[in-house]
Amino acid sequence: MSITANESGSYDSGQALPFVDSRLYTDQSIFEEELGKIWKGSWLPAVHESELAAPLDFRTITVAREPIVIVRGSDGKVRAFRNVCPHRGNLIVRKPAGNLALAEPSGNANHMTCMFHAWQFDSFGRCVDIPRMKQGYQDRLTKADVALTEVRSEVAYGGFVWLCLDPGAVSLAAYIGDAFGIMREELDTEPLDVFHYHKAYINSNYKLWHDTNSEFYHDYMHYFNRATSMMQKGYFERTYTAFPHGHATVGSMEVKYDAYEGVAERPLSFPGMPRNGWKMVDLFPGATFNIRGSSLRVDTMTPLGPNLVMIEFRGLGLKRDTAAERHQRIRDHNTIWGPFGRNLHEDLLGITGQGVAMRPGTEPRHILHGRRENNTIHDEIGMRHYYQEWGRVMGRSPSDPGRAHGLAAE
Amino acid sequence: MIAIDQQESVKAAVRELIYRASLLLDGERFGEWLDLCAPEFVYRIKAYSPEIRKEMIWLEHDRAGMQTLVEMLPRHNTDHGQLSRHATVYTVAMDGERDGVSAVTSFACYRTMLDGINSHLDAGETQLFLIGKYHDRFRLEGGRPLFVERNVLLDTRRLDKGSHYPI
Repeated sequence: MSITANESGSYDSGQALPFVDSRLYTDQSIFEEELGKIWKGSWLPAVHESELAAPLDFRTITVAREPIVIVRGSDGKVRAFRNVCPHRGNLIVRKPAGNLALAEPSGNANHMTCMFHAWQFDSFGRCVDIPRMKQGYQDRLTKADVALTEVRSEVAYGGFVWLCLDPGAVSLAAYIGDAFGIMREELDTEPLDVFHYHKAYINSNYKLWHDTNSEFYHDYMHYFNRATSMMQKGYFERTYTAFPHGHATVGSMEVKYDAYEGVAERPLSFPGMPRNGWKMVDLFPGATFNIRGSSLRVDTMTPLGPNLVMIEFRGLGLKRDTAAERHQRIRDHNTIWGPFGRNLHEDLLGITGQGVAMRPGTEPRHILHGRRENNTIHDEIGMRHYYQEWGRVMGRSPSDPGRAHGLAAE
Repeated sequence: MIAIDQQESVKAAVRELIYRASLLLDGERFGEWLDLCAPEFVYRIKAYSPEIRKEMIWLEHDRAGMQTLVEMLPRHNTDHGQLSRHATVYTVAMDGERDGVSAVTSFACYRTMLDGINSHLDAGETQLFLIGKYHDRFRLEGGRPLFVERNVLLDTRRLDKGSHYPI
């Protein structure tokens, strides 16, 4: 089920020139509220299953300040747990990734060991050892009392591990709905594999990065996109489709990569992907799946403050790639993406400038989301739809965050 | 095979070439930098990710590709902060099999800010941008060393806004 522009709510349809109040990007109390209502209540793509390929492989991440460890159990199933020792609240697994078969200095192989007092947990989250338990706790505590707290997780949509901290939230399938319909064949026909990872700290609000991924009007900033896309047939026919829960997709076109000096077209693709095609799926509150011909880029975000966000960038190809194919996908990916790519640096400069102009303490201002072009590529429906959902979840008007969402003035 | 009595002078020439290349890169004199490179030159920026536990290539071009990359810079919006490379050549070694030389150079690259964030507040401030090592290979042409390969192996993996410039 998709949503048309007219159906997407009062924020979008009720204003002649929709705008967002910049306090959404600067206010500490709004940010704290977002962590609870949005980031703890949403399904988030965390890592890719290829990062946890073998039993006992693990990855550590942070969601809304909460440390999480994701482990592929000895039974092959991926699970996620709060990465906090139930004894004295220390972080348990400290490395970004690894395999539990390698014993830590305080513990045994195959276990997650808190280095502080050597409490040990297996890959199912069960507590398996408490040093001198009987002497210290007599019969007042058992290992069963102190298992790690499991977090809802699911492997889906291209092999990503999705997490949700809210036990009462809707299922992942209900949360995503049909938003991946445009990319289902590319993502799920055969296994994918991560070949690129890097991260960036940017002094800007997380929503501004999602906005950049949700509007294409900023292609004027990119010489590469002007030459290879905006000047080419089909660009202005690309269309946005909005979905429940704030998600949106952007339809494909054939990019003319060789219109940029020194760049060749992209012969490799994904199952179902048109040659040199370009599709995007933007997911509320802060993830983007972006396929450009031969490579899939996935952005995920960890908000760290109203004016600080960590963005993680992954590049993926097909698991069955030959060495030559993988090399080509990496070259294609790096042309515009990656820390030395032509476009990514420009995009990050863009939100850095917004972060300067809208840092905490600056005067509130109106940020326009008013372009309407029948949902085509320079229409700002993607952002409007996002903030409609933001208002619904937060119970605040995006145009006046001190007012309740859905009032007539919107 | 480079004659033993010539090896010390070749090593000195390689060290000088690496430092000269650093000065040319610092000065954004990219054409002159590429003049120090053989036609078969290959440039790569690489890093190892402990997150995905893989070696990654973040930039790779042949000489023509690097030429195009730097020639296209004026068409791109970019951070115009100046990069300064502080390099120390650790080792220079003769390649016993071929008439070649390899070198390992440790470097730190600083960025003196201009317009990357807020020019009024930040311009003139110098920040550490990244550290790593150059793994270079050379061949001799008329007794003069030329770069045939530069692998920039980065220790720094959080590059924030990143860069459009060769390191």
